Amino acid sequence: MNPARAYLRSRRGRRMTWSDRYAALFGLALVAAVLGNPVVATVQGLAAGVDAGRMGAGLGLLLAAYAGYLALARFLGPLVLPAADAAWLVLSPLPRRSVLGRAASVLLAVAAAAGAVLGLAVPAVLGVPDDLAVRLTAALVLGLGAAVGGMATAVLAQASQTWDSWLLTMIAGAVLLAAAAALLGGGPGRQVLLAVAGAPVAAVVAAAGLAAAVTAGLLRRAWIALDRIPAAKILSASARGGRVLSAAVTMDTGALTWVAEDNHWRGRVLRSRPWPGSAPRSAWAAGLAPAWPEWRRAGRRPGRLALLLGSTALPAVAAQAAGGMSALPVGVLLCGALTAAVAFTTGARRDGDNPSLARLLAVGPRALMAARAVLPALAAALWSSLALAGLAAAGALPGGPWWLLGPATAPAMAAGALRMARRRPADHSMPVIETAGAALPMGPIIWALTGADLALLGCLPALVALTGPSASLTASVITQVLAGAGVLTAYLLRQGRGAGEG
Amino acid sequence: MSDVIIAARGVEVELGDAPVLRDVGLTAAAGEIIAVVGENGAGKSTLLRCLAGLQPPLRGSVDVLGAPPVDAAAFWKRVVLVGDEPAWYPGLSVEEHLELARAVHRGGRLTVGEALETFELAGRADLSPLTLSNGQRQRLSLAMALLRPSRLLLLDEPERGLDAAFRARLATILTGYAAGGGTVVMATHDLRLATATGARLITLETAS
Repeated sequence: MNPARAYLRSRRGRRMTWSDRYAALFGLALVAAVLGNPVVATVQGLAAGVDAGRMGAGLGLLLAAYAGYLALARFLGPLVLPAADAAWLVLSPLPRRSVLGRAASVLLAVAAAAGAVLGLAVPAVLGVPDDLAVRLTAALVLGLGAAVGGMATAVLAQASQTWDSWLLTMIAGAVLLAAAAALLGGGPGRQVLLAVAGAPVAAVVAAAGLAAAVTAGLLRRAWIALDRIPAAKILSASARGGRVLSAAVTMDTGALTWVAEDNHWRGRVLRSRPWPGSAPRSAWAAGLAPAWPEWRRAGRRPGRLALLLGSTALPAVAAQAAGGMSALPVGVLLCGALTAAVAFTTGARRDGDNPSLARLLAVGPRALMAARAVLPALAAALWSSLALAGLAAAGALPGGPWWLLGPATAPAMAAGALRMARRRPADHSMPVIETAGAALPMGPIIWALTGADLALLGCLPALVALTGPSASLTASVITQVLAGAGVLTAYLLRQGRGAGEG
Repeated sequence: MSDVIIAARGVEVELGDAPVLRDVGLTAAAGEIIAVVGENGAGKSTLLRCLAGLQPPLRGSVDVLGAPPVDAAAFWKRVVLVGDEPAWYPGLSVEEHLELARAVHRGGRLTVGEALETFELAGRADLSPLTLSNGQRQRLSLAMALLRPSRLLLLDEPERGLDAAFRARLATILTGYAAGGGTVVMATHDLRLATATGARLITLETAS
């Protein structure tokens, strides 16, 4: 340990007592007791075999989760230091590896835990035809290799642009494979999946050995790279990490998204273009102008549009994985449509956080909000129409034009998304209500429900139709159109306060 | 004094239990520039917030353009406040922010091209505001405020981040705005800027 760290540790507080050791051991035992049963049940269930029809969807979800893991590691840094260490130790003459050693070991532990989950999930999805112990061990090695190797690549990406390109390729590859597994797994790709699941033990062991060797190589390179990660990269990642942590503690997710959003635009050269119809003729025309930036921003992020488009397959994949239309695909459908709407509410969110520009523009809040509802409604309509068409094509829904429910739910989704965009951070001073089951902190609960409540209320007819398909589709669509339009109208009519509220 | 734009009398404000403003009065006519000066904590920004309707006074009265100020679109159509840096819209360039202000307000005082030239932002027109320096972002805030039509300009330390040469230019811009019938109230620490605009000085003392 370097002298600076030793000094800081000696000043950091009291030494570990027997009571601390007991608490740590008790905590570990509790985790083992809680996780023990599900893990044992999963391992025992491996021998029972899996439904080949669900294999593709399950593998698709697993690969999507892996892509998310890599993307999160890249977004966070992944090497992040506490604010004080970032401020005082990174710019000191101490060897960088010793400064970053502790953060690196935390990353290794996180990656190992993720790898263990991945290693258990792969055989759970693909099944274990024979030699349970050998195949499970090989799967665990493969999972650990993927997670630890992925994290090592992310560390290397922090140090070099070339490795960052490799990491992006890995993420894109995982997303493509996920999509291919989900879409083709039930049809033409089924034989490939069955061949992978039933690969000979020797081949699986060889693959695990290769994964272990590659991971060891990546770990060694990452360990060497720790000494030459540029200070600026660590400082910016640590500042971002600090903001992420404080936003997570206060449940201010708006701050989280601004970190990503501002990072995306900082330093970019944009091709300025005049606004369409730059001579407004009425108050409504003037109201449309502040909504137009959202359209332009959407056009300038084609990757995000492609991601949203690709995610329309998720409800069908979820239905395939769940074996039919149940709470999971319906939940994915509603969450996805709401997410598509929320993705186009940055203007409303920005004005909610800081109304200076809204005051400068001085547009009536009702007209402004009506104009801002158009794009989220369109996004939700397109997303849910495609998702419903996918569900129908996958055979999860009976015959009929189910996609019509997409445009019908869109106004309610837009109202929910705008309400969500304007919500304040969770109020932790609100009371905690003790119930027989658990203590319910009202502040975070109300925060989580704000926005979703309006979307759910406005989508009730669609929910009823999707969960009980015996209802008449025509009647459901008509009721849904009325409910959606009613919720959006009521929401807009309530927007009558100051420009700062706009 | 004809055409009174601001009439504030006996304004008192407390934040928490601490008095910030005590018996402050201020009147301003059309075409007048007023510089509110005073040491840190004297309540300059708080007075501007009172005039903008963002801080209700504990006692006293404030009338702006003939009525108490309110945080509503109709008020902000005639009044502009430039305070702390605004949160820029993501994905828009410097020029597009100016275009936005121009598209919303009919009869702008400047074209977008004129604003870019006047505020020395022509070379930065296609950048995101987040890429600009502090001084350049302050110039963009001022450009957006002065591009649109208004009758009253409330500026909180407009000199913040600006270099000496641009401060002199800002004085000329503000004098031109007042010559067109607009009223300016600015809280400032820069007495040279206040003098260059020919502003009437109002000195606030720390309330105790």
